[in-house]
Amino acid sequence: MSPLLRAARAPGSGLARRLEEIVGSAHVREDAGALLTFSTDATPLERGDPDCVVFPATTEEVAEVLTVANERRIPVVPRGSGTNLSGGTVPHHGGIVLVLTRMNALKEVSSDDLVAVCEPGVRTIELAQAAAAERMLFPPDPGSQTTATLGGNVAECSGGLRALKYGITRDYVLGVEAVLATGEVVRTGGRLVKDVAGYDLSRLLCGSEGTLAVMTELTLRLLPAPEASGTGMAYFPDLADAARAVSRVLASGVLPVTLEFLDQVCIGTVEDYARIGLDTAAGALLIFGQDGDQRSIDADLARMAGACEAEGATQVRIAGSPAEASEVLEARRAALPSLSRLEPLTLLEDATVPRSRIAEMVEYIQEVARRHELKIGTFGHAGDGNLHPTVVLDPADAGAVRRAHVAFAEIFARAIDLGGTITGEHGVGMVKLKYMERQHGPEYLALLRRIKAAFDPNGILNPGKLGS
Amino acid sequence: MTSPPVGERRGIFTPELLDRCISCGFCLPACPTYGLTGEETSSPRGRINLMRAIETGQLAVDDPTVVEESSFCLGCRACEPVCPAGVQYGALLEEWRDELWRPERRPWRLRALLWAVDARARVRLMGVARRHAKGAGEGAEPASLMLGCFERALYPRVSRSARELDPSLAAPPAQGCCGALHAHNGELERGNALARELGEALPGTIVTTSGGCSAHLASVLGPERVKELSQWLAGRGSTVDEPATGARPRIGFQDSCHARNGLGVGKEPRELIATVGEYVELPSAAACCGAAGTYAILRPEDSARVLDRHLDEIADADLDVLAVANPGCYRQLQQGIKRRRLRTKVLHLAELLADADRIVSHRSA
Ligand SMILES: Cc1cc2nc3c(=O)[nH]c(=O)nc-3n(C[C@H](O)[C@H](O)[C@H](O)COP(=O)(O)OP(=O)(O)OC[C@H]3O[C@@H](n4cnc5c(N)ncnc54)[C@H](O)[C@@H]3O)c2cc1C
Ligand code: SF4
Ligand code: SF4
Repeated sequence: MSPLLRAARAPGSGLARRLEEIVGSAHVREDAGALLTFSTDATPLERGDPDCVVFPATTEEVAEVLTVANERRIPVVPRGSGTNLSGGTVPHHGGIVLVLTRMNALKEVSSDDLVAVCEPGVRTIELAQAAAAERMLFPPDPGSQTTATLGGNVAECSGGLRALKYGITRDYVLGVEAVLATGEVVRTGGRLVKDVAGYDLSRLLCGSEGTLAVMTELTLRLLPAPEASGTGMAYFPDLADAARAVSRVLASGVLPVTLEFLDQVCIGTVEDYARIGLDTAAGALLIFGQDGDQRSIDADLARMAGACEAEGATQVRIAGSPAEASEVLEARRAALPSLSRLEPLTLLEDATVPRSRIAEMVEYIQEVARRHELKIGTFGHAGDGNLHPTVVLDPADAGAVRRAHVAFAEIFARAIDLGGTITGEHGVGMVKLKYMERQHGPEYLALLRRIKAAFDPNGILNPGKLGS
Repeated sequence: MTSPPVGERRGIFTPELLDRCISCGFCLPACPTYGLTGEETSSPRGRINLMRAIETGQLAVDDPTVVEESSFCLGCRACEPVCPAGVQYGALLEEWRDELWRPERRPWRLRALLWAVDARARVRLMGVARRHAKGAGEGAEPASLMLGCFERALYPRVSRSARELDPSLAAPPAQGCCGALHAHNGELERGNALARELGEALPGTIVTTSGGCSAHLASVLGPERVKELSQWLAGRGSTVDEPATGARPRIGFQDSCHARNGLGVGKEPRELIATVGEYVELPSAAACCGAAGTYAILRPEDSARVLDRHLDEIADADLDVLAVANPGCYRQLQQGIKRRRLRTKVLHLAELLADADRIVSHRSA
């Protein structure tokens, strides 16, 4: 605990009492059991003990909580559903966990302006479904969409399966209402696609990981929904063949909505678990998909199948019905479940490289796995180079845990060398801060700190993470 | 990365069960109590973190939050089918309550209930006055109808209807309780022993009209030995009565949590209902109604809060009949519907199918 915090929490300071005055006594918790359940998120091995948990319902309440915390220099960690994988909501410095899930009003879904306005606690799937009901599409679809909040999505700048064609969360954020650490409320952007009045602060808040401001309202861009979608799959002797097939697909003028791959380890693990008849002798499985009108889907799928065959695919299949498409996608859906069943601990990473370097990178990952005697399965987004090397191990085996950390350090270093990044979508959080300097250099980090200070002069928002 | 505090394990939980959770949070939106509070602490992931904390000694077994959450949990197991890591939450909850609800710490209402069903003679007594089904079966391969403990006292017509639908089922009255109540309420060993006893008492396949019993029995005797009624009927291609002529009744269904989340039964009852009326899928059909075994008795207020959404939907859908597949749900929904003065009639699936020729729509418009 920081000395400042200790002083603030000295008997009689009544932090919890003060917060109860703001949000009501039913919405503050400081019992040991509740604190324990807010000490972690989806990140393995990370924890920190908060001093209290607060559930505000309005922007005004958020502003008041931050004002109090700022006066007393108490750390504040914003939290949505706690599904992030980088320790983003772990309160390493104690303080207040500020949970935004009570702010869950979906205020507007407008097909005239193609925008949605909502509070940050709305879950991604809720917006996607509301948009779909009006024949619109909210494209960012992280794997956690049923649970994760839009506030969390924007704060992590989450990606998803459709990134190659549709982009990622930042491409759909038009405006943000946010409360600064000082309690000041600002609005950035608005409902317009074109708007250049001022710095693009909405974009700056995308991926700010709760370190600059607390977002209290989001204005998000929607698209007209595509009519239909279609899916296919192809096996290759080798991942390099699959990578060449991807290049050939893109060169042929097709921009697919889905391009996912599984490496050999994943194919074997999925088949062991799900028994769906995968070809475990194959070196890679590529799943491709397109959306739009039925004629162009058929044409694009045929072209993609052709490209795969031309690059040596041993077997190509186009799903003839939604049920078959669901079968094809099952292999990808089962990747994480099957890996996570092998051992108690699953470390899922998201090193990302330029598309043209995927095969090289996955080969390197396998070499690292062999050298450190680890089981690493890699699956991911072939269209955008976003890889998910996943280590499974037993946390009781301290040696294996240590080797896994070394292995990831090597993997991140190679990703940077190949022109890639340490994180494509999960965020820096606590876990990857130490790799930031290698990727960006000291000047960049100094600038981050100055930006952070402009938003949060006392460093109370999510301390120890970005900008600290 | 910093490591979590690793203490000695206290042996409350089976390590393989407790270690399985990867903390992804996918179970949060499926959990009714998380839905009520919006707080991680009353979510499946939150509860598993509490279990881990008592297992390592980080929190005391009788920490007030730990005690509260172990009983606030409905035990509905809606967190299981959505879990990518295959966490067997129901089994963890049984181990948790086994430790926590030792006889001296057990709520008194629960003690009375467990006592009532603990001996075969008492269970038998509950049923005699109420004319539940009895008789030897007529089938070639032996199959027995389980009469249940509270069901035979509260809803004896259910077992009679089940035998009407399939006379091949034997229904020997000298059968005890299946032990689900014990297993779910802190007496895991006794619960398993009762299930084994019942397995020995009843010949052949055991067919049950209660989802909670079928899941418990299946977990002890193996899924091949036990069939929930709709599974059994669907498997035998049984035909039901000709539906009544006239307007087709609008019929909704309330899943039994354990049949759905424990045994994967969901399609069968819906298909059977569709043969006798217009099946209406309520938005919360698959979510716990709040009966949850002893829950409605132990925590009536929370139970009513869980039920509210269901009653709203039943009112909106203007149902003629709501079919259920578990005696607890039967009572819960019957009482809720009565309180709200809705026109919908609650029937067990067995009663609905056996009486299909007499059920017509009374819709006003
Ligand atoms: C199994 C699994 C699959 C996943 N798949 C994907 C995927 O495909 N793509 C992907 O990109 N990610 C994925 N994730 C990661 C994670 O789900 C996303 O980062 C998600 O956007 C987090 O949302 P959340 O509501 O859980 O946020 P939290 O985890 O609660 O918070 C994340 C960060 O946002 C900050 N924050 C939250 N709300 C606010 C707010 N209102 N204002 C300011 N800051 C805020 C927090 O401080 C924290 O730094 C996956 C995670 C899991 C467990
Ligand atoms: S879905 Fe399963 S693995 Fe994920 S947090 Fe819930 S119980 Fe744990
Ligand atoms: S059993 Fe039901 S109430 Fe309990 S944690 Fe699972 S989903 Fe929630």
